[in-house]
Amino acid sequence: MARVYQVPQHAFIWLITGSLLASIPQMMNGPVWIAAVVLFLQCWRVLVQRGRLRMPGRVLRISVLATAVGLTLYSYGTLFGPDAGITLLVCAFNLKLLEMNKMRDAYVVIVLNYFVLATVLIVRQDFLISLYVFVVLFFVTAALIGINQPEANIRARSQLRYAAALVAQAFPLMIFLFVVVPRVAPLWEMKSDQKKAKTGMSDSMAPGEVAELSRSAELAFRVQFIGEAAPKPERYWRGLTYSWYDGRRWSQALPQNISASDVVAYPSRFKPRWYSDLERSAAGPQYQYRIILEPTSREWLYAMTTPFIEQNNIGVVSDYRLISASPVTDSLSYTVKSYTRMPRGIDAPRWEKEFNLRLPAEGNPRSRAQAREWRAQAGSDDQYIARVMRMFRQQKFFYTLTPPPLGPDQVDDFLFRTRAGFCEHYASSFAVMMRAAGIPARIVAGYQGGEENPLGTHLLVRQYDAHAWVEVWLPESGWVEMDPTAMVAPERIESGLEQALQSQGSEFASAFNEAIGVSRLPILKQLASAMDYIEFNWASIVLGYDGMTQTELLKKWLGEVSPLRIALLIAAGIGIIGLFFAVLLLWRGRRPSLEWWQKEYWRLHSALRKRGVEIPDHPAPGRLVELVSAQAPAAAEALKQWRECYEGVAYRANSANLNGMNKTNSFDKQSLKRFRRIALRNIS
Amino acid sequence: MPKLSAVQQLYRRWLRRRIPPATTVTLNQRRIFILPTGYGMLFLLIAAMLFIGGINYENNLLLTFSFFLMSLFNVAILHTFRNLSGVTLSAGGMRAGFSGRHGALEVLVSAGPRRSHTSLWLQWPGSPAREMSVKAGEEQRTWLDIELIHRGRVFAERIRIESRYPLGLLRAWSLVDLDHWCLAWPTPIESAECPASGGDDDEGLHNSLAGNDDFDGLRSYIPGDSLRAINWKSLAAERGLQTKVFTDPAEGRRWLEWDRLAGMEPEMRLSSLCWWVLSLDEANQPYGLRLPDQEVAPAIGLDHKQQTLRLLALFGVQ
Repeated sequence: MARVYQVPQHAFIWLITGSLLASIPQMMNGPVWIAAVVLFLQCWRVLVQRGRLRMPGRVLRISVLATAVGLTLYSYGTLFGPDAGITLLVCAFNLKLLEMNKMRDAYVVIVLNYFVLATVLIVRQDFLISLYVFVVLFFVTAALIGINQPEANIRARSQLRYAAALVAQAFPLMIFLFVVVPRVAPLWEMKSDQKKAKTGMSDSMAPGEVAELSRSAELAFRVQFIGEAAPKPERYWRGLTYSWYDGRRWSQALPQNISASDVVAYPSRFKPRWYSDLERSAAGPQYQYRIILEPTSREWLYAMTTPFIEQNNIGVVSDYRLISASPVTDSLSYTVKSYTRMPRGIDAPRWEKEFNLRLPAEGNPRSRAQAREWRAQAGSDDQYIARVMRMFRQQKFFYTLTPPPLGPDQVDDFLFRTRAGFCEHYASSFAVMMRAAGIPARIVAGYQGGEENPLGTHLLVRQYDAHAWVEVWLPESGWVEMDPTAMVAPERIESGLEQALQSQGSEFASAFNEAIGVSRLPILKQLASAMDYIEFNWASIVLGYDGMTQTELLKKWLGEVSPLRIALLIAAGIGIIGLFFAVLLLWRGRRPSLEWWQKEYWRLHSALRKRGVEIPDHPAPGRLVELVSAQAPAAAEALKQWRECYEGVAYRANSANLNGMNKTNSFDKQSLKRFRRIALRNIS
Repeated sequence: MPKLSAVQQLYRRWLRRRIPPATTVTLNQRRIFILPTGYGMLFLLIAAMLFIGGINYENNLLLTFSFFLMSLFNVAILHTFRNLSGVTLSAGGMRAGFSGRHGALEVLVSAGPRRSHTSLWLQWPGSPAREMSVKAGEEQRTWLDIELIHRGRVFAERIRIESRYPLGLLRAWSLVDLDHWCLAWPTPIESAECPASGGDDDEGLHNSLAGNDDFDGLRSYIPGDSLRAINWKSLAAERGLQTKVFTDPAEGRRWLEWDRLAGMEPEMRLSSLCWWVLSLDEANQPYGLRLPDQEVAPAIGLDHKQQTLRLLALFGVQ
């Protein structure tokens, strides 16, 4: 049997570092057992390298693999799909470390290491993880260099340095390809895993749920205004509308005879009539902004009213919302134009008005009676609405994150007994009061406000900015936004949740701060906002670079975008970058500083060339002397002495540091020069 | 020489034009070939898979990673090429051998003043490769074995010098003809009659080593006898150490003569002469060699033996 291949020690360090670091993100993301399996295999591998253990036999390897397959099946219920696939890949890859009998295995492991490292980016794409992947690249590349250098006495650090040079030189072309290689449409449908439920809006709302959401400081989305920014009170980010009320819970719903496709328009493909009407009636100040939405696993997108967009796979819904064609599983960037007045002068379909009047057959008798009474007293819908709003403003309502529990008649209980609630309580009771008085009303759920990043020009909208408000239908105006919470806690709208809770004297304000981890240290706050600035730009420039941005950019460069022109551009780019490095690496080379006796050698060499002696480009000194002596025997004696002197000097220099050899005086600069002169004289 | 197919001949002619034989060859872009290795193909395959993944998941970072692998490969082309380019190969010494066995040729590998070359593999087709690294401005020497397939000058095949450093994704190589040859002496073949003249025994010398028990040329070993003169066959036959004794011709001038082997094949004659040269040298007996066109006067010693063998090796060779 052939000798078992031993990874050189200097390469092994990088091999084990690279493979461990590439596995760590998955060890942290996936089930706990992955970490155990990976660490077990890695430790084994290290002990093998140290000669403490042997490589495991086939039976053991197969049983470890079978265990990993079984555990994957247990944790994910399947062996397919990205999550289970990556888990299996990481296990198999680490197992392969223990099956390294030939040099080929080492190669396969390292090339696979790149692949495992890439899968990290399937799960996360933020700036920090990208930086991490970038750093690990050095180690993997260093390992690859190491196994190509079988000598034993090599310092591992030199490989890392060389790897850094290679990685750095690969970057220009990588960036160029990133910019110009066309973003082809997906080749086939990818089934992404059902991601775990994320914090965020859901398609229904019961009292207490938005308040619950407010305890999270997780980022919902970022907004970057292009041009003028909308003033704070107008920053209502609409996500969903709830039209169905069952007495407790509000849900997103459509009447049975209406299908979802009737109310969604994909303007980049087709504009139905209601959409054209909507475009015509758009009015009011206009804002353009880009939103970078964090993954939600949901379809709905957030935008101010009335949003218009022309982007593939994003639709506009007839209740002035945006929707994505598929659940948002990776961060999504989209650019919207909004007219901040609700459209006027278009009629809502009859089903919409009727559907938004429905109430459960019974329940909340006091509220209904009150609504009927006030509507009868009020001369108009407007006056009635003002009356209800006045109730919220004038009576003692509290804005709180922890409202007391409500009985079966929730609206009655809230309006006439507890009077303490969060935005969903106000929105819900207001909408019920409207419907009870015959005014179509629906709940709108989304976010309100957003915190400005001090470094960038963008807003951060977090989960605690979640909000619910109401829209009512008035025949002469259309849908009109109403925010009863603003009556109770105007600070909520003006300055955000924290302020609102503080001014209400709520003891939860500080608890809230603690819960969401807002730091009191200014330096940490600054660091966090700097980091956020980077993340924002990363998301908007790198992650958000899509086919449309690319086409625009290429149009600017090429004038007209055609496959031929793109192909030529790519070829030219590869050529130019390649040529640049070829010149850098080959033509100039690295000129090491020469020792004085080496300079002396080159002086002799060029002088001989000048005199017409035929010698190769850089023969060894001995060979040089041999060749020249054959052609010019007169100089042979001097050259022999020159060579002796040269070798004496060079040898002394090379070994002086090692054993402090005694210096021989005759081997010095002067003698070397003298012999050169004598030799040259004898030639000419 | 084995027969070559037409394609092989064309290829050889093309190589000869592209990298003409020379005793010193410096590798440059004209002389270096470069192609991906199997691992390089695997590496590109993974880059392609990541590209498809990036497209399908609409994941810009996967795409970027795939582009990174592609550009790393691209950079590796330059670095692999650079590691080989600038290496100078020169023909060095030669260790002759008998035809049918091995000789060796020395190859000098030197680096230019500015660039070091790591992990170069030198090889003749069909023999194991030799690995070496050369630092800037330095020189390394190595002996490569060569099979001596016929008598005379055996020209070396083109040396394959190969490098995969730094990443092993690409293989850069060159096939260099250093115009290097190895001397192949005739295969020694034992013969009974010594084709010698000279001394008083005109009948020629019997082969004292033919295994004749009664041969009085063998006597017991006396400490101080040359090891070369020991008759190992007797030792093997458990008769103790014995030393071969040759009777000196009277005048001590024995000529090994081509003409005395008339009727034999020329190669056979040379082989026989070769065997006798070795035998006489071993026994410290002076001998001379007379070939139809050349001769070496009787003498003794290593230089003499080398000269004689050289004459035999090159007899009839242009």
